[in-house]
Amino acid sequence: MRDHAVFKSRFLPWLLLLPSLIILAIFIYFPALQTFVLSFYKSNLRLGTRRFTGFENFYNLFAGAFAPAYRQIFLQSILFSASVVFIGLALSVVLATFASQKIVGARVYRLFLIWPFALSPAVAATIFAFLFNPEVGGVNLILNELFGIKPRWLDTPWLAFMLVVGAAVWKNLGYNIVFYLAALQNIPKEYAEAAAIDGAGPIARFFRITVPMLSPMTFFLLFTNLTFSFFDAFGIIDILTRGGPVGYPPFDNAGMTTIMMYRVFQEGIEQGKSGFAAAFSLFILTIIIIITVFQFRYGSRRVQYGDN
Amino acid sequence: MMKQFLAVLSLVALLGMAMAQTNIEFWYAFSDDARSGWIQDRISEFNEQLSADGKDYQVVGERKGSYRETLDAAVLAARQGTPPHLVQLFEVGSQLAVDTGIFEPVGNVGGGIDLSDYIEPVINYYTIDGAVNSIPFNSSSPILYINKDLLEAAGLDRNLVPETYSDILSACETIAASGIEAKCIGFNLHSWFFEQWMAEQGAPLVNNGNGRDERATEVLLTSDAAKNIVSWIKNLNDNGYYTYTGKLEDWDGSDAIFTNQQAVFHITSTADLGNITAATKEAGFELGAGKLPIADGAERNGVVIGGASVWLTTGHPEEELEVAKDFIIYMTNTENMVSWHKLTGYYPVRNSSVDELTAEGWFAEDPNYQVAFDQLLETIPNQATGGALMGSFLETRTIIEEAIQKVLNGAEVDAALEEAKKLADAALADYNSNF
Repeated sequence: MRDHAVFKSRFLPWLLLLPSLIILAIFIYFPALQTFVLSFYKSNLRLGTRRFTGFENFYNLFAGAFAPAYRQIFLQSILFSASVVFIGLALSVVLATFASQKIVGARVYRLFLIWPFALSPAVAATIFAFLFNPEVGGVNLILNELFGIKPRWLDTPWLAFMLVVGAAVWKNLGYNIVFYLAALQNIPKEYAEAAAIDGAGPIARFFRITVPMLSPMTFFLLFTNLTFSFFDAFGIIDILTRGGPVGYPPFDNAGMTTIMMYRVFQEGIEQGKSGFAAAFSLFILTIIIIITVFQFRYGSRRVQYGDN
Repeated sequence: MMKQFLAVLSLVALLGMAMAQTNIEFWYAFSDDARSGWIQDRISEFNEQLSADGKDYQVVGERKGSYRETLDAAVLAARQGTPPHLVQLFEVGSQLAVDTGIFEPVGNVGGGIDLSDYIEPVINYYTIDGAVNSIPFNSSSPILYINKDLLEAAGLDRNLVPETYSDILSACETIAASGIEAKCIGFNLHSWFFEQWMAEQGAPLVNNGNGRDERATEVLLTSDAAKNIVSWIKNLNDNGYYTYTGKLEDWDGSDAIFTNQQAVFHITSTADLGNITAATKEAGFELGAGKLPIADGAERNGVVIGGASVWLTTGHPEEELEVAKDFIIYMTNTENMVSWHKLTGYYPVRNSSVDELTAEGWFAEDPNYQVAFDQLLETIPNQATGGALMGSFLETRTIIEEAIQKVLNGAEVDAALEEAKKLADAALADYNSNF
């Protein structure tokens, strides 16, 4: 189908796009270009120094003295993002399905489920920090009362990692549920009814009908959640753990909850190594591009768009 | 009509005054109301004096967040051509501050500065390349805090003051055997203590005269002195004598462990003496204090002064810098340092202030403050106690802390320190290659 006859002039579409393009150029493309250039310089924010060093920043990233730390951080970030995305989406589908049932008070449940979406990552993390404070937090008060245990959530390496994942999942839950609820409204009832008549139970209907019919939404949410876990989880980590604690071998080269974006902040802002931080963020950009291409190529095949 | 005329006239007059007045900006880092309130009070007094003398200057104080944020703000402002006149900076940022090139050594301004009244170890720290760069303001060092009631409960002499690592270990053994609930010792995992323990043994932290003869190129983390320290911490930890909150640099958390009587001994800054004394009164136990316990067999060299000083920035008219300097000298004069010390526990950095406090009977009233002073005054001035200078100090601190955390997790001392040295050297080389 050819339906771009809407625009008579070839320039009109560009003219209409111009405002967006200007903003993108100023705030996205130009800084991105500068980051690219900066990554080949040794540059220090505080000293104001800047010297061309070619690929030295990249060498330091992959083979320098701190390379073991960066490798660990890379692994952790992938593990972190995978956990946040998969646990988050799985939980959201289930909760949204429950919340879309026609029961008394459904609107109230929905409201409470969407609630965390309204919070900034910093606020969400502060709530978690209070809840999981080892001495005075609500969680440990209850655990101590019931089982006589007081887990040290913030400094036991894997526990801290899981806590940060949990906080990130919780923070994004409301967002995912809103989208899934909307998508669920659009699934025609006939499918489920027909399946029920054919003898499919509620669990079979959920996996055979609901989940596949939600796949376009899942595909979209995969991106937004991935972006969230790579970049926006920063606030949660900064407030809950500041990237710590150092784990047990082989996770003893950096803090267990340091994701790549957090390390970029530490190197670039806290330590002022802007050139190196630029190289590091280019590396993150490359990973994001690879994942995105992969996702579009292999993910979109599995997406079920109902009509076709 | 007349009213309006007068209103306009007074507005014009006000504007004229505001235009004629030059602001001297002072950026500082304290976020608590007591400390920043104290600074604001000194500023008001000084401004009154300025206007009484008919000078068209006014000091304006502004909080800028943490020490690091204050430095960053000053550097950025300087790059944009609007630096403040005075900046409060922490001691470990000294080399970095010199390297930014935005500061003017205070000795170069006007008639320089009379240093005869300042406590020697303090001046020792802030002298770089033979010039005094900044005016010491809030200075402190770590001491041993003791819960005397718990000592007695564990069957030890309530007046016991352990002097060395093995004194602490043997006290810990008794405490653990006594079955009391509290742990023996708690201090937060901070590189500052490590640095102090190096200095106490007379060992420099970095090469080239602790970075004072020449730019440092090596962090001496595999020296025997370094091993003594980390082995002792490992020993405490492996025997279950040591406790901390698990977070790095958690000052408040470790204070809470001590004031909640979860540890018999505690190590922290003299600057907390005021707060902890108050907290122990509330908790109802008697507080003792001792000098920082040191490695066995080492001569007690003394401590490196910690805290912050006030720096002057370049790029201002000479006259403005003079006023700025006068303000800082006023803020840190004999009388003001006495009230600052009483408010916070920071050392008054002037000998005359110490004399005044002694004459008042301040130390006789609370001998714990005397301990803090003796430790500083008995410090042998040398390159080790002068404190290390390195541009990558903040990174080095994190590396040292993570190495100790690894040892607490079960790593071997030698291996952890060797790894840490490699990383710290790399970070230092990376910093040095900026020039």
